[in-house]
Order: sequence, then structure tokens, then C-alpha cells
Amino acid sequence: MKNVVLLTIDALRQNALGCYGNKKGLTLFIDSLQDKCILFTRGQASGPYTQASFPGLLTSSYYLEYGKPRGLAPERILISEPLQKAGIVTAAFHSNPYICGFFGWNRGWDTFYDSMEDEVEPRIPYIRGHIINTKVSDWLSSHVSRGEYKPFFLWLHYMDIHEPYMPDRKYVDMVEPSLTLRQDEMFNLFQNTLRKRDVSDPAKVAMLKKLYEIHVRETDTYVQKFFGALEKLDILKDTVVIIASDHGDEFGEHGGLSHDDKMYSELIDMPLLIYNLSRDKGEVCDTLVSNVDIPPTIIHLFGLPPVEAFQGHPLLPLGDYLQNGVFGEAIDQRSQRGGDIEKDIYFYREQDLKVIYRANLDSWEMYDLKADPRELNNIVNTSPEAEGLKGKLKPRVRRWVT
Amino acid sequence: MTDKEKECAELIEKSKEVVRETFKKFKVDDLAITWTGGKDSGLGLWIIRQVCQEDGIKLPKVMTIDEFDVFQEIHDFMEKYAKEWNLDLEWCRNDDVIKAAGGKLDAPVKVKDLDERNRAELKRIEFEGEAFPFEAESYTGNHLMKTVEFNKYIERHNVKGIFQGLRRDEQAARVQDEYFEKKEASHLIPEHIRIKPILHFTERAVWNTYQVYKIPYCSLYEQGYRSLGAKTTSAIAEPGVSAWEQDLENTTERAGRRQDKEQMMARLRDLGYM
Repeated sequence: MKNVVLLTIDALRQNALGCYGNKKGLTLFIDSLQDKCILFTRGQASGPYTQASFPGLLTSSYYLEYGKPRGLAPERILISEPLQKAGIVTAAFHSNPYICGFFGWNRGWDTFYDSMEDEVEPRIPYIRGHIINTKVSDWLSSHVSRGEYKPFFLWLHYMDIHEPYMPDRKYVDMVEPSLTLRQDEMFNLFQNTLRKRDVSDPAKVAMLKKLYEIHVRETDTYVQKFFGALEKLDILKDTVVIIASDHGDEFGEHGGLSHDDKMYSELIDMPLLIYNLSRDKGEVCDTLVSNVDIPPTIIHLFGLPPVEAFQGHPLLPLGDYLQNGVFGEAIDQRSQRGGDIEKDIYFYREQDLKVIYRANLDSWEMYDLKADPRELNNIVNTSPEAEGLKGKLKPRVRRWVT
Repeated sequence: MTDKEKECAELIEKSKEVVRETFKKFKVDDLAITWTGGKDSGLGLWIIRQVCQEDGIKLPKVMTIDEFDVFQEIHDFMEKYAKEWNLDLEWCRNDDVIKAAGGKLDAPVKVKDLDERNRAELKRIEFEGEAFPFEAESYTGNHLMKTVEFNKYIERHNVKGIFQGLRRDEQAARVQDEYFEKKEASHLIPEHIRIKPILHFTERAVWNTYQVYKIPYCSLYEQGYRSLGAKTTSAIAEPGVSAWEQDLENTTERAGRRQDKEQMMARLRDLGYM
């Protein structure tokens, strides 16, 4: 039995990766893994921000499954829980407060680090990737040390790409040595442009995107270090690594910044790679898949019986995957109430057709992602397929209201 | 005397020094003790009471905050010992917020339904919304139910010094804490000194002391709770394993609960959450 690692990267857009067509060389290490990977070209997040997406990634269920989202509902099953019951060692290392122990995400982990007890830098509300790596390496060496060890499931999550977009000079120099912006200027840009979702000045939006890309480059070095740690312990060959993001980030594509309650590709398209050193060659899979498929895939990799509550399907073996439409949902989480369930939004996608529904406005959109990848041309009133897709989405709308 | 007994005696002696220094600096009537029913403030109270008995001093008044989400076990434990130890105990409760929430947890509290003091406090923490949920996880609710009641008590009784059961090893942020911490007066907060006599105790030493001196504690600790807060936000760390039998050294005390919730909320706000 192999170990399984789920490596998630916060706010990483699919098209920031070289292996997904980005030409800027920001992810040279991840790109170099491709001959041992299955790359999913149509991976979809089940929500556009952390709270909406992580129920999919770790519990194979949807954000609004139990009405108003507070902590992790007791009904949800975290991937760590069935694994721990089956005797697999489970460990988690991350620094995202939305999914910290306080909100219930620490269930089923033998080791759970969420950084909430640790100090963070004044302007950056999370622990950097190199510290996550140190903690992960320490844990790995203590667990694996000398010969026999129990198979493990390790989840690690890097936050570094997430705003406030204040990369260290070292990484700026790797991508854009001519960039002279100081840290306080970066912070100003974050405070006065990004936080205000002000896209009126294209130069500022371009600068934010540049800083974001520098963080992507930075994170690629963390992924490389992590793989190095597995190699050093000689367990890379015994470990399957799933790489994904929770959501993307917007740079004015639909009039906004960061990641709010929207369902367009810049937020929903998810990079998804399954790395296995034993593979003969790389493979590209164009099937439409969802992040809710990741927990069942992990269960499958450990050879365990399916978990009934999981709503996704195992991605492996590839040929057996049940092709279906994919869903996502979110609410306006920037409202003063800290999440307004009265302002809810949903999407449903089949092949390259996507419908989006804003329930509080009762407004529908539909896009043909093949003909219109930037989702600018709403065809909901003209497409013959609109009614069919709307019909499939409707049962999920406000299903907590009975 | 075993090593353990010796160690506990030394730790208590240090605490007693802090308490005696306090009685030198303040009049008894200007002092108060915070007591939550938990193990730390309970140990502090027990030590202060020892000093008072030994030195023939009246025990200062005791305050506790009723967050409206209290474990029955804690309530019963406190009532029992308040009587047995003859404490001058005051339960502080922000009834105005409870009334505005219709007496229900999770219910929305409309700012306009609150009294002037609570509205002023909301302004102080820069809350600008029209409503917030009356829940233990909410930063706003927590502030009004706890911090505000604490400040109001200080003001009402003209308290100059208040004992707290904080420990340095609880969290990284407390490593630098001093036994006496002066809180400067600011808007809605009267000046006062916070006194922390058990600052140097580790979690393990706290339990050793309870054991050696047979100090009474709340039964929830026998069920596996390690840290007690509001009922809906505290969780059992290890079911059926008494707090002192758990692996205190290698696991986190506050895994089931967070007093540093405010730190978490601050991080959430920095990430864009309102």
C-alpha cells in the first residue's frame, strides 16, 4: 500500500501553471513532474473561496449542504476520519484560519497543525510555506525513521499565494528583478486597490497580478522542497501525491479582484495532478471532474471500501470514472454578517456548458466555455440546452429551505 | 516529601509571594478575583484563599462572567464552593444582549435593540453592521458578553487590582507576561492592574498541585475536557480520559477550545472576512 499526500495550494489559478499552458515559467518544478502525472484539464472547484471549496476537497460534500455554514457540520465526514479508523496514520499541516481546529476541521487527524497558536507576521495572517515544510519534514522524519512505518495520509496546504501579495525580494528577483516596489508599497496596493476591489486602474491590477505570479513562483520552490524531503527519506517511490488548489483568484476578468462569490473560470478552474513515480508516462485526462472526487480517490488509493456519505466518485482507475455534471455553490461572504446565506450563487457544468444562478436576484447566466472561454457572452436565452442544465441545477438551490 | 510534592510546594510558594505583594500594594476592598470555574482560576482562588487564611486577611470579592452558554456542571460546581468557601461572588451577565437576541443562541442581535453602552462598545471595536449573530464564535458577541462585562465590573466596584488565572505556557503570546500588568485607562476601560499569581505553572504542574493538595475541580475534567469555556465551543479532548491523564506535553491544551479566538478572528479579518 502506498502513502497518499494531498498537497493543496490556496488561491492557485489553473492557468498560472506551465503544465496548463502558462508561458511565464512560474512552475518549472511542478511542470517537470508531468511524465509521472495524470493531469486533469477540466478540474472544477466546488466553490470560489476557501470555506466554499474545502468541504469538497476534504469531505466530498457541498458548502451549503446543511444550511447556514458555521463550523464543520458534524454530519460531514472528513477524509481523515475513515482513514484513521482503518489504521492509516493521518497528519495535516496548514495555516488557513477558515479550516482550523476551532471550526471543527481537526477531526480524525493523528497530527493536526493549523498554526493558530503560533505568531504570524504583522501584515501576513498565515505561516509561510517554508515553515509548513519544516513542520512536515520533522513529522515525516519522526514517522518514517528507520525501516518499518505505518502507511500515512498527509495533507499539507500552502497559503503563500493568497493576498496580501507581499513577496520577499528573493522571489521578486526570480521573476521580475527590475521590479522596485517596496513591501509597504505592496501593502498599500493591497489595502487601497485589492481590498476595495478597485479595478479602475489597469496598471495597478497588472501590478497585483505580477505580485501574485511571484508568489506562484515562490510556491513552486516549496513544492520542490517538499518532494525533496520525500526523496531524502526514500519514500517518494511509495507515495502518491495529489496536487490541487482550493480556488483561483480574479484580476479584473469579471470586474473584481481576489476571490468573491463568483463562479467564473478564473476562480473555479482547478489544477489537479496525481503524481505517481511508478507511472511509465504522463497522461492527460479531459474528463470534467470536481474537487468532491478527491476524497473518494484517496479512499480508493488506500484500497478501502467507499464512504457512502461522499458525493464524489473515485478518479481512479481513469476508465471507470462516472462522468457527470459538476456543481458548486457559495454565498456573499463579504457582507457585514460574515456570510449572507440570502445572497447565494450556484453553478452547474456539463462538458463545456456552464449555467450560473444567483438566487437572490433570480438571475441566470450560461456560457459555452469552448467558444467563449472568458465567459463574456451570456447565452442563457438563446441556447437550446439552457433549460436542461437549469433543470439539473434547480434542485440544489436553497435546498435547506423546506 | 516526593519530588512532585516538593515541586508543587515551591510553585505555590512563588504564587503566594505574588499574592502577598498584592496585599501590600492594595487595600483588600480595591481587589477582585476572576473565577471561571476552570482549573487555572480555581487554583489561583485556592492559593489566594490560603494566603488570606494564613495572614488573617478578608478574601477579596470574586467575579465570574455568565456568557449565557454555561455548562450546568460548572455552574453547580461554582455554586457549591461559593457557599462552602463563603465567597462574595457576583455573576456578571450582559442581559441587554441576551434580551436583544430573544434569549436564544444563534439568534440575530440588531444593533438598534441594544442599549447605549453596548452600542458604544461596538463602535469601539469598529463594528459597523446592523446586526450580528448571538453566538460563541462571533467576535462581536464574545466582546459584548465577556470583555464588556469585565470592564463594567471594574468600573462598578472601582477595582484597582484584579487576580487572573493566566499561565505562560497556555500560548506563545503569553511567554513575555509579567505577574503585574498595568492596563492603562482608555475609552470605556478604567485603569487597573491585572495580577497573575499562577503565571509560572505549567498545565502539568496545575494538575499535580490539584492532586497533591486535593483541591476540588469541576467534574467535566474527568470526562476528558482539558480546557473549559462556553458550552457550545468547548470540546472533549480525549473522551473518558481525565485531563491529567492525557498527553499534556505533546498535544495542545486548547485543541477543544480557543481563548485566542480573537487572534483567529483577526486573521480572518485580514483575509477579507468581515
